[in-house]
Amino acid sequence: MTTSEQTLSIARGFPAMRRQSTVFLLLVMTTLAMMVLNIGIGSIEYTPQQIWQVLFDQTNDKIAHNIIWNIRLPRAVAAIFGGAYLAAAGLLLQIFFRNPIVGPYILGISSGATLMVSFVMLTSVTVGITVFQPFMNTLAAFIGAYTVMMIVLAIASKIRGIITLLIVGLMMGYLCGAVTAILTALAEKEKIKGFVLWQLGSFSGFKWDEIGLLLFLGGAVLILLFFQSKPLNAFLLGEEYAASMGVNIKRFRMLILLCACLLAGMVTSMAGPVAFIGMAVPHMARLSFATSDNRILIPGACLMGACVSSLCDLLARTILAPVELPLSAITAFFGAPIVIGLLLKRRVKL
Amino acid sequence: MSKSNSDPVLACNGLTVGYSNTPILRDIHCTFEQGQFISLLGPNGAGKTTLLRTLSRHLPPLSGSVAVMGRELQAMPALDLARIMAVVLTNKISPPLFSVYEFVALGRYPHTNYLGTLNFHDKESILQSLQAVHAANLASRPFSDLSDGERQKVLVARALAQEPKLLLLDEPTIHLDLKHRVEVMSILRDLCRTKGITVIASLHDVDVAAKVSDQVALIKDSSVQHYGAPEEVLTQQAVTTLYDFDKAEFNSRLGGIELRSDGNSGKAFVLAGMASGSHVYRMLAKKGFSFATGVLHTNDLDFFVADSLGGTCITVPAMETINGTATAKAHEQLAQCDVVIDCGFALGNHNMANGELLQTALEMGKPLFSLRTPDAGKKLNTQNGNYIQLKNVAELITTLDNYLPGKQHGLKTAGPAHMKEV
Repeated sequence: MTTSEQTLSIARGFPAMRRQSTVFLLLVMTTLAMMVLNIGIGSIEYTPQQIWQVLFDQTNDKIAHNIIWNIRLPRAVAAIFGGAYLAAAGLLLQIFFRNPIVGPYILGISSGATLMVSFVMLTSVTVGITVFQPFMNTLAAFIGAYTVMMIVLAIASKIRGIITLLIVGLMMGYLCGAVTAILTALAEKEKIKGFVLWQLGSFSGFKWDEIGLLLFLGGAVLILLFFQSKPLNAFLLGEEYAASMGVNIKRFRMLILLCACLLAGMVTSMAGPVAFIGMAVPHMARLSFATSDNRILIPGACLMGACVSSLCDLLARTILAPVELPLSAITAFFGAPIVIGLLLKRRVKL
Repeated sequence: MSKSNSDPVLACNGLTVGYSNTPILRDIHCTFEQGQFISLLGPNGAGKTTLLRTLSRHLPPLSGSVAVMGRELQAMPALDLARIMAVVLTNKISPPLFSVYEFVALGRYPHTNYLGTLNFHDKESILQSLQAVHAANLASRPFSDLSDGERQKVLVARALAQEPKLLLLDEPTIHLDLKHRVEVMSILRDLCRTKGITVIASLHDVDVAAKVSDQVALIKDSSVQHYGAPEEVLTQQAVTTLYDFDKAEFNSRLGGIELRSDGNSGKAFVLAGMASGSHVYRMLAKKGFSFATGVLHTNDLDFFVADSLGGTCITVPAMETINGTATAKAHEQLAQCDVVIDCGFALGNHNMANGELLQTALEMGKPLFSLRTPDAGKKLNTQNGNYIQLKNVAELITTLDNYLPGKQHGLKTAGPAHMKEV
């Protein structure tokens, strides 16, 4: 067979691969740069050199050590992981629903997590087990996220259509918000302040044990997901084609939803509900990598999410410094236009 | 493609299919052999898609069983099944940012490793699949930019990349233009012939199905009513019952469907023979005329067409000279007609009587529209008759429209839309 196999593989493979490696490199460098900026900028400014010295224990500056190790670094790392996990969760949901404008926030998953976290934070359920705070919150957020997910799924399976999902998600958001509001009204005053701050969404105040949980549990989920990128790719053609190609659909659906809820719930429990990153970032990743191949998109969207959420966090802290803006206020500013743009372009099928 | 495997590629045993306890097709017994092209025919909603979805394991059977290469379908691991069976569904999919090549590569799913890395054999298989559907030139195009026809071919290529022994297609030619309809069907037939793949497809076009299928299954009234070679199964009667034809008829010899007229525009007598009349009959039926024709030999194409269109045919057996009985019948019909049409057939010994019928028509004072060349027309004695010489069928259509203005036409205007010559 005198095929043009070589020409084809060159035509297909290499330019795309070169572009993708370039984007990867750029993203990694931008993320690192954002991290340095996030550590350096604040009420007290630090140069990269000072940061280096503090991180690698070459200085005796106690204040700098304290600020960087206990405030700035945890926050920068949290922003990176939070953004990455939200983006991964959004990517999963978009593939699952074959719908480009879903994300954990839009589907009401974040609201479900918020509700359950408010339950833990505002009522006295946790008295005596505060030691497990991050775990407790994460577990609660996961349960809330998963419950809302299941309700949305049940409704979505009855009424197909892209707008239905949006509306159902919105309504779930309102409902959960209403219950959260009632809980807030009934709660003791001293508990409310912390909760309200948390609810605005912020990567501040992360403790190292929370980061540890974020890193190990989230990391494990991400690695698991990366090895699911082949069935995820098949899933892009829809459940029926995926099944006909050998994907065990029932098990796979379950796995995807669990992972999405775990990632989104974990971030929400610690950073509060963060709007739109989960929805917008997968699109940005798809466009910059020019592919739907999840072997590239899973790491790609994570990096992009890390980058975007670091940037948003930086903006939230600096625009009106010393006043800190709610994170969701910043993310919504570029997330909402993307949803509207997608609807207008009628690129409603994924 | 091992010959040693004596099990049929697919076998249904007392299979009942349907949705959640509502059976749609009951008690199906069919075996599908290697390399066969099997068409599922039947009206919309008869259950073709339900059957296909059950065979592809998208729906569980309500009872009975399906065996794939001798193995129980429901018990097969998903990957094993995917290496034997591939599907092309009707749902519109438009995965974003996929090139055609990448899209087809997804079909390698059951053969690649856990990350879906393509090795040399995979790439070769993808390319061959694209070539098999004449789509190698599309490889680098974005999938979402394809036309319906190109997309259908690429969908088939994706299925082929699974290297299946069995290909299930739901309405593979729906929404396609004629060029792609023909192309897709011939591609599918080639797959059976050259690759030994068993193709099972639900089809709408009974005439196409008759021409490509090795076996057809006629599906109606919650069962597979007939299953066998189209030459046996697709009789005029079977097809009429299958689709509840009222004003149409399938003719297996013509290999197509003729649409009958309701006959309220008037009645025409057509003098034809030797295939000169078939397009005139169709035109008349289209215009809503009823017609009688004769005298035809029973081996004449005109006879098959006129008969399928429901015209009154006056015939004599093949090879025989037209006799008095037939002419007498023709006289009878002639007398009842509003117009007479002469298709300009050649006159010879066997049909000399038809020439005489032309004269009779003129003597009766019937308007005689003739498609005969003016020279040939001069040989007739046309002095005292209503003889109207026409150049072609288009002119015949316009003239007929003007000639019977009081009658109910589908369309009254004789615009360019009618000028199409068959």
